[in-house]
Amino acid sequence: MNIEGIFDVTSYRVNTEAHIRVVHERCAGCSVRACTFACPARCYTWSEERERVEFAYEACLECGTCLVLCDQGALDWHYPRGGFGVRFRGT
Amino acid sequence: MHKVDAIVVGAGPAGTTAALTLALAGARVVLLERAETPGGKNMFGGMVVACAAPEELLPGFWQDAPWERQVVKRVLTVVGEHSATTVAYHGDGSAADSAPAAARVSSDALVGTGLTLFRPRFDRWYAERARDAGVTLLTGCLVEGLVLQNGRVSGVRVARPDGVLEAPVVVLCDGTLSLLGKDAGLHQGFRPDQLALGVRALYRLPEEQIAERFGLVGQQGATQEFLGCTEGVRGGGFVYTQTETLAVGVVLHLDSLKIRCLAPYQLLERFVASPYVATLIRGGRLVEYSAHLLPEGGLKMVPRLSGAGVLVAGDAAALCYTNGLAQEGMNLAMTSGKLAGEVAVEAVAAGDVSAARLAAYDERLRESFVLRDMKTYDRAVHLLHRDRIFSAYPKMVGALMDGLYRSDCEPKRRLGRLGRTAMGGRVALRELVVDLVEAGRSYL
Repeated sequence: MNIEGIFDVTSYRVNTEAHIRVVHERCAGCSVRACTFACPARCYTWSEERERVEFAYEACLECGTCLVLCDQGALDWHYPRGGFGVRFRGT
Repeated sequence: MHKVDAIVVGAGPAGTTAALTLALAGARVVLLERAETPGGKNMFGGMVVACAAPEELLPGFWQDAPWERQVVKRVLTVVGEHSATTVAYHGDGSAADSAPAAARVSSDALVGTGLTLFRPRFDRWYAERARDAGVTLLTGCLVEGLVLQNGRVSGVRVARPDGVLEAPVVVLCDGTLSLLGKDAGLHQGFRPDQLALGVRALYRLPEEQIAERFGLVGQQGATQEFLGCTEGVRGGGFVYTQTETLAVGVVLHLDSLKIRCLAPYQLLERFVASPYVATLIRGGRLVEYSAHLLPEGGLKMVPRLSGAGVLVAGDAAALCYTNGLAQEGMNLAMTSGKLAGEVAVEAVAAGDVSAARLAAYDERLRESFVLRDMKTYDRAVHLLHRDRIFSAYPKMVGALMDGLYRSDCEPKRRLGRLGRTAMGGRVALRELVVDLVEAGRSYL
């Protein structure tokens, strides 16, 4: 069973603006970067080129793992605007 | 003069029960939900143990509610290095036979067993029942913060033109993170070791194939939990049966996941591909992937439950636990929601929503099975934070069973010797004794 397809089956109503913002000044001091492996939606990636954590909000599952695991307090974290974001259907 | 008597934040099982309780008592109540439809932010596809709270509010509740299967079979599988060992509990299914859907089982017969259900369906249906009872439901409505006046919660801020909604009492049922509870000063934020991440893949399969693979008849359902399948991360795997889907996933303690530097979807991928799971979902079509946090910090994690003008219930109050054999949450949510609703009704009627008055809620929760069960299993919750239980012991059981069933024309060894060999290098005798004593204190 290939996991790749797993990120394509969930339904979203994507907002035009991000609901989470990485505060790069705080993020820079972190060597653990738990967000880059623990986020279940792979929203956080380490960019070698820019030498910083990049965040893409569109696939966010709104679980809060990143908020709880970030020990730098580097996330300006909110839920998406009402009616936006992930929509679980159970089917 | 307020336009409403109470505001409930979050239309999950706790919030809807609280709002329904208030409305049935004649209170004017607004129920706010950030998803487009109630349940839209909830992945739960697990099992609820039948619970009296909604039944008391709406007679025939469990008969009418949209559940999937009635669990008669509960399976625990311990995964070793070369084998898996399973213990299966199987009820006789006298309550859930092959009766047609319309005739289902009576609500009474459901008590004491579990039901699998989908939260997007269940929550939506339940919120509709609350609306029927007079609750004003606003969906797509995110509460951005609380309105505080002289240390008292007096309303909520929403992203709407009018901006602020005020009421004497606000009931917070805003889920595991409970950012609003933190706003209200009821807790200081939760730690990684108090939370678990659940990730789940949903596979669609024909109803008959599910019945056949799990040995079920009609609306009977099964749950299967796995220990030792999370590569050293504290946690476990699960497969739950719904009517035409299997919910397959892993639950992982966040602190342990962080230490091991593992990705949850990779653990899920390897769990799904393991021989013990692959055969169950063979031919299934992947239809949804989801993730959610669960409170797993036991009693110590439970925040202050009330304050001036505010009550907190369900996951937001960390009312959820697993003792390793049973996982309960929805029943605790609905019961706490009902108690919060009752206390809110009385406080509003008395015109006193002070912290002292609303503390009656804390007292009622302590008297109810909710906090009593959490207390009963509190030691077990902490026992389940020992790494050995999720890695060394499953491997040990596997090695023991491998030795027991090995047939290679060599002389057999006694169980005790097999056991000592199985322990070798994995667990020290001292550790085993310490854990057994603690297990005894936790469960006996």
